[in-house]
Amino acid sequence: MIILEDVVKNYGSDVPALNGINLHIQKGEFVFIVGKSGSGKSTLIKLLLKELDPTSGEIFVNKKNLNKVTRKKLPFLRRDIGVVFQDFRLLPDRNVYDNIAFAMKVVEAPNRKIKSRVLAMLSMVGLLDKYKSFPNELSGGEQQRVAIARALVNRPAILLCDEPTGNLDPANSNAIMKILEQANKQGTTVLVVTHNMDIVAQMKKRTITMSDGKVISDREKGGYFYED
Amino acid sequence: MKIRSLMYHFKDGFKNIHRNRMFSLASIATITACIFIFGVIYSLFQNFEFMVKKAENEICVTVFFDEGLSDAQIKQIGDTISKREEVSSMHFTTAEEAWNNFKSEYFADFPELAEGFQDDNPLANSASYEVYLNEASQQDALVSFIEGISGVRQVNRSEVAASGLESAARLIGYVAIIIIAILLAVSVFLITNTIVIGITVRKDEISIMKFIGATDSFVNAPFFIEGITIGIVGSIIPLGILWLMYSRIITYVLSKFSVLQNILVFLPEGEVFRVLAPVAIILGIGIGALGSTFAVRKHANV
Ligand SMILES: Nc1ncnc2c1ncn2[C@@H]1O[C@H](COP(=O)(O)OP(=O)(O)OP(=O)(O)O)[C@@H](O)[C@H]1O
Ligand SMILES: [Mg+2]
Repeated sequence: MIILEDVVKNYGSDVPALNGINLHIQKGEFVFIVGKSGSGKSTLIKLLLKELDPTSGEIFVNKKNLNKVTRKKLPFLRRDIGVVFQDFRLLPDRNVYDNIAFAMKVVEAPNRKIKSRVLAMLSMVGLLDKYKSFPNELSGGEQQRVAIARALVNRPAILLCDEPTGNLDPANSNAIMKILEQANKQGTTVLVVTHNMDIVAQMKKRTITMSDGKVISDREKGGYFYED
Repeated sequence: MKIRSLMYHFKDGFKNIHRNRMFSLASIATITACIFIFGVIYSLFQNFEFMVKKAENEICVTVFFDEGLSDAQIKQIGDTISKREEVSSMHFTTAEEAWNNFKSEYFADFPELAEGFQDDNPLANSASYEVYLNEASQQDALVSFIEGISGVRQVNRSEVAASGLESAARLIGYVAIIIIAILLAVSVFLITNTIVIGITVRKDEISIMKFIGATDSFVNAPFFIEGITIGIVGSIIPLGILWLMYSRIITYVLSKFSVLQNILVFLPEGEVFRVLAPVAIILGIGIGALGSTFAVRKHANV
């Protein structure tokens, strides 16, 4: 599903942000990526979204070689990938329902599908009763659940989350993880960048540790290695 | 582009205009000014050209012959003249016709005065050709050619009232083109900026759209709708104003300059607007589309 081969990303300084990454993630996996600040986790996510191009190396997402995806085809690559950020990135002038429906309108989904899909997602993230609320009327945990619903509503093959619980308390973080796990059970490949070691320890999933732009450990079942 | 998205884009485009109404209004006002001036100049020139054409069609050179020239010789001169390419048509007036015309023009109220001449035609040598020209500017050349023909006694020319006007009109035309060009540039510049503001305001939304997988054309469509709508509104307003003004101004001019009623013949507004309206609207759409293109290019990577 995701393959990185000798990927280097240099922003122009002496030390590259990613320095020779090799990684294979299978379809249907749930993977944590951990590592201290500046180790290159967000850079990795940006490369997978083709928001940035690698300095060298090759990346395959859903069998597509990202180096060969043209600007014209990029939107269609991104329809295979859902993204969730630490800061939610909801549209403040739209209510919960419209924020999620927006993702389907943008990819020109048929109207008759939109309503049923949005309602299904709202029920999955437990926000059916808040569908008319605006983002500023929601708690951080609720906003992140809306963001996840938006990321999943188009049924992407892959879900990328960059510190999805970074702004949330433990209870809300656990709720978010439950939702991600559920999405994974339904077949979505999930990649979660996090600093939350409690969650990583608790969930016992494959965990990749990064340091200075390199993968320093890759262990099954939550055995993580953190060199602080 | 799917039809169901079109509604969505229209809503977004109009939302942009509304959110950004001061700039939108400024853009509309500039386009209005630009197309209004264009419309005024166009109407003036259409009418002017129409009058000149009409006046030119009436310009004719009258050719008189030496005394005692035979009909055959006169006919030969006629043939020579009619071969010239300046000539659009010719009419021969016999001496009798000339006398009859004279009588009906000057002695109409006193037929007994004309009786005094009996059959002795005082205009016996006044047979003439009236030579009509294709273009007023060719008059000089034709006159000097005819004067060179032997047997021609005299050539009378028409006054060309329009010829001086024509160069003045050309000057006004150049000035107008420069003004219109400047206003066009200002219009495009203002629209571009109006739309850039809209894009900047929606930067977050656009970046989310791109992460979700919106195509460039989907992202840009509302901005094109915004620009083109501003362009169309900015062309319909001046067309409306011109339509309301047109017949009023003509009535006013004709009442003020009633002496010139023979020269001042105006085109009906339908005739002018048949071309002006579509050209103005296409111009408005063009300005809008161009402004949108610049704006979107500038911000291609938000
Ligand atoms: N746009 C950029 N231009 C230049 N350098 C950058 C840029 N983005 C990131 N970097 C550098 O690349 C390195 C990796 O950054 P990255 O954001 O991937 O780290 P991270 O693992 O996500 O850190 P954190 O846990 O703090 O989010 C850092 O040294 C950072 O300073
Ligand atoms: Mg980061």
